[in-house]
Amino acid sequence: MFKYILTRILYFIPTLLIITLLTFLLSQAAPGDPVETRLQGGQGAQGGGMSEKQAGEQAYIDMSKKLGLDLPPFYFSLGSIAEPKDLYKIFRKKERENLARLINKYGNWDKIEPYYESIKAFEVTLYDIERDTNSYTDLKILKEGINNLLNNYEEGKVNNTLANMEQAMNTMSKVRVDSNTIIERNYFESSIPAFTAMRDNYLAIKANPSVWKTNIPSIKWIGTGNQYHVWLFGNKPWFSKSKDPSLKGGFIRGDFGESYLDGRPVSSIIKDALPITMSLNIISVLIAYSLSVWLGVFLSKRKDSKLDRVLSIVLFILYSLPVFWVATIFIVYLTTNEYGMDWFPTYGLFSNDLSDDATFWEVAKDGGAHVILPILAMTYGSFTYITRQMRGSMLAVLKQDYIRTAVAKGLPDNKVTWKHAFRNSLIPVITMFASLFPVMISGSVVIEVIFSIPGMGRVGYEAVLARNYPVLFTVLIFSAVLTMIGILIADILYSVADPRISFTKKK
Amino acid sequence: MSANNENIEKSTESAVQVEPAHKAAEDQSYSAIVKRQFRKNKPAVWSLRFIILIVIIGLSADFLANEKPLMCKYEGSTYFPVFREYIVDLGGSWPKELSSIVDWKTTEFDYAIWAPIPYGQSETDFANANYASPLDDQNVKSRRWWHWLGTDEIGRDVMSGMIHGTRIAMMVGVVSMSIASIIGIFMGAMAGYFGDEKLKTSWANILLFFVSLPFAFFYGFQIRSYSIGEAFANSLFSALFQIFIGIIIFTVFIFIGQLIAKGLNKALNLKANTNVPIDIIVSRSIEILISVPRLLLIMSIVAIAKPSIMLVMVIIGATSWTGIARFTRGELLRVRNLEYIEAAQSLGYSEWRTIFRHAIPNSLAPVLIAIAFGVAGAILTESFLSFLGIGVEAEVATWGKLLSLARKNFSAWWLALAPGFAIFITVTIYNLMGEGLTDALDPRLKQ
Repeated sequence: MFKYILTRILYFIPTLLIITLLTFLLSQAAPGDPVETRLQGGQGAQGGGMSEKQAGEQAYIDMSKKLGLDLPPFYFSLGSIAEPKDLYKIFRKKERENLARLINKYGNWDKIEPYYESIKAFEVTLYDIERDTNSYTDLKILKEGINNLLNNYEEGKVNNTLANMEQAMNTMSKVRVDSNTIIERNYFESSIPAFTAMRDNYLAIKANPSVWKTNIPSIKWIGTGNQYHVWLFGNKPWFSKSKDPSLKGGFIRGDFGESYLDGRPVSSIIKDALPITMSLNIISVLIAYSLSVWLGVFLSKRKDSKLDRVLSIVLFILYSLPVFWVATIFIVYLTTNEYGMDWFPTYGLFSNDLSDDATFWEVAKDGGAHVILPILAMTYGSFTYITRQMRGSMLAVLKQDYIRTAVAKGLPDNKVTWKHAFRNSLIPVITMFASLFPVMISGSVVIEVIFSIPGMGRVGYEAVLARNYPVLFTVLIFSAVLTMIGILIADILYSVADPRISFTKKK
Repeated sequence: MSANNENIEKSTESAVQVEPAHKAAEDQSYSAIVKRQFRKNKPAVWSLRFIILIVIIGLSADFLANEKPLMCKYEGSTYFPVFREYIVDLGGSWPKELSSIVDWKTTEFDYAIWAPIPYGQSETDFANANYASPLDDQNVKSRRWWHWLGTDEIGRDVMSGMIHGTRIAMMVGVVSMSIASIIGIFMGAMAGYFGDEKLKTSWANILLFFVSLPFAFFYGFQIRSYSIGEAFANSLFSALFQIFIGIIIFTVFIFIGQLIAKGLNKALNLKANTNVPIDIIVSRSIEILISVPRLLLIMSIVAIAKPSIMLVMVIIGATSWTGIARFTRGELLRVRNLEYIEAAQSLGYSEWRTIFRHAIPNSLAPVLIAIAFGVAGAILTESFLSFLGIGVEAEVATWGKLLSLARKNFSAWWLALAPGFAIFITVTIYNLMGEGLTDALDPRLKQ
């Protein structure tokens, strides 16, 4: 038995690895730049001077490092030979993606790299330009132009931008030197060489394309210094007590990263949410099993009576009722005064106006009132399902020869039912636990979202909407582990309930 | 399991006893028996009729509820605007006189025949905006224009939304279960037929499979990733087309690898003696898929892409094949030991021919059960996603979306009742269908 459990737990590992890979792939495919989300508009330093620009750039790099996004994504990369290995060193996601499109279009990184660098060089020269009312408009055009060049790869758009920029570069402004002399002067004279270099570099890209390179695949080995590895296993040496924020413990050491939205550690979010979901689910499973097993036995003994037929129909209807409809109906009809049935609180787990020094009973009463409807909505589905199964399996067992024997030898009815029939009919109901568990976890997403209960389901739902991947990863993996543990428990219970089944022997 | 089997055997025994002797002359083919069994199950028969009704409503939704007249006479000539709309959607154009019409309701027609529900799914009736109740006074010309199920906040007719939602629900069932069936039947058949020991191949085949994999992926998808991405931005159909081309290229490369391996096998005289544990692979992937909370998984995929109800259907299909695969696997495990399969093998038919022409067609019937329950599940999942507002275009009305409106205004009781009831009825009839099929297909299981 022990060996069986151990192998089953070992099976968790590949499953979890694949789930992490899957979610990682999702996060890579997602649009948007998490670093900018975190910095709330990373290009905010646009209008300012050189130092502000540099500060903004530095903040971006620091945040990338903090979020572990400054590394190549995976252990290896599959790409064309036109793609350089160190493209990930371009920190800004949008610029990096634009360069990748340029590479895809022309295939000559040896020309694209100088072009990119010359854009940056040109941008630096602009900070030396005198700012006044004369240069303001043109400077704005040039800065927007740079932004356009960094984010566009289509030939038409780039040419347009370059033409606009050139026009702005050549503007002659009339400047009043003193009361009677007005001279014409070009503010951007000092930047012209940098601009020409940039334009020439772009022309060079177009002049020497090597598109064929993009058609030849190449696998580049990157090694363990990648986002996935660091996120999962960390890059901090084991047992080191270093407090360097760039060293991460990794997922398996309990460092789940931090929320992209507010920087809160994911572990603390989970710590708040997990107990809520767990306790709701456990309460619901206990209620469902204890009631339905009894009801199933009860109905099977009164097979084909009026009560049995009526209840069977009721159970079937309950079984088909969509949870989110029932939950919505509860909220709409039972929680407000609209229909005169303001019996329960509407949202959340506790009232907002619950005072801090409330006694235990007050807290329990308030929380209890809040969870009655959610638990009811969570329970009725599994309750009806188990009852129907229990009734069916009990009926099957009651037809068996050994039950007839037990009745024939004069055993009391109670003893036949509970000692002989009940235990055998329990087996399929226990195995159902395995299939019920994933459904319940998905179900708690529904309930928690509708009733605004801050459990795992709601946290996961909000993470999905905000593309908050560290949180989503953790929720998915925790749910998967819970599900697998649930299935394992069901299997163990199975062998406990039915001694004929043994996992240690091989078929 | 044993208890279950006995249960089944008992029930089929009794079914056989019920058959009177004089009926022995009846058609004894399997499908005839199943049909007879199914007809005895009244709820299942009724749900089948109901499903046909849903399909009819879904197919004719545009004619049942539309803001345009079905037929109208305008400035001397007769038009069929609803039909015309199909032509416009296919790339045609409106007749010049009609193209200037912005509001069909206020246009003066010589005469016009309107749809039974004369409102479109996203048409706003400003006169009845802000939750017009079906029981209170409505600001309409006559009973003909009554909002039978009221309106929502901006005056959209709920009845029209319900009718067009029927089409979505129908499509969810068809699209997602087609995808799930293709994947599930294939995976289940592989696992069931070959098991862990029957699929043997040489190491050259395996080696070349892994060698050709990166090439296949590179030329099939990587190189075309930008065009696939652009296709996704355009429409889902063009995206699916691009992905389809990708899959073809992918398969071609894998196939080339296997051809080379075949050559190698011949040249080096390699024997096919390496086991491919296909059953373990399939069972493990089913386990993995079951362990991930499906709702969150679907949500996270859908949240990345542009809202599209078709994408939701495709993803529901791609993640809900596990039940079908399990059923097929179980059936194939049984079928592969039957005599006629042995006969096919001894006749020298190829494995693929045996599987696809002989084994799978004979094990499809029980899969219908999984499909019936699967449709119910898919409709539930889709309506919950649209209830949360994930993955639905703004102009499309679905039952889940209508139900979610009830949470905005508790006094609009019709918004809480009608769509939820529709979901409930649909799910119920598919569940009844599933149960009816389970009972009807029983005789097969006694063999």
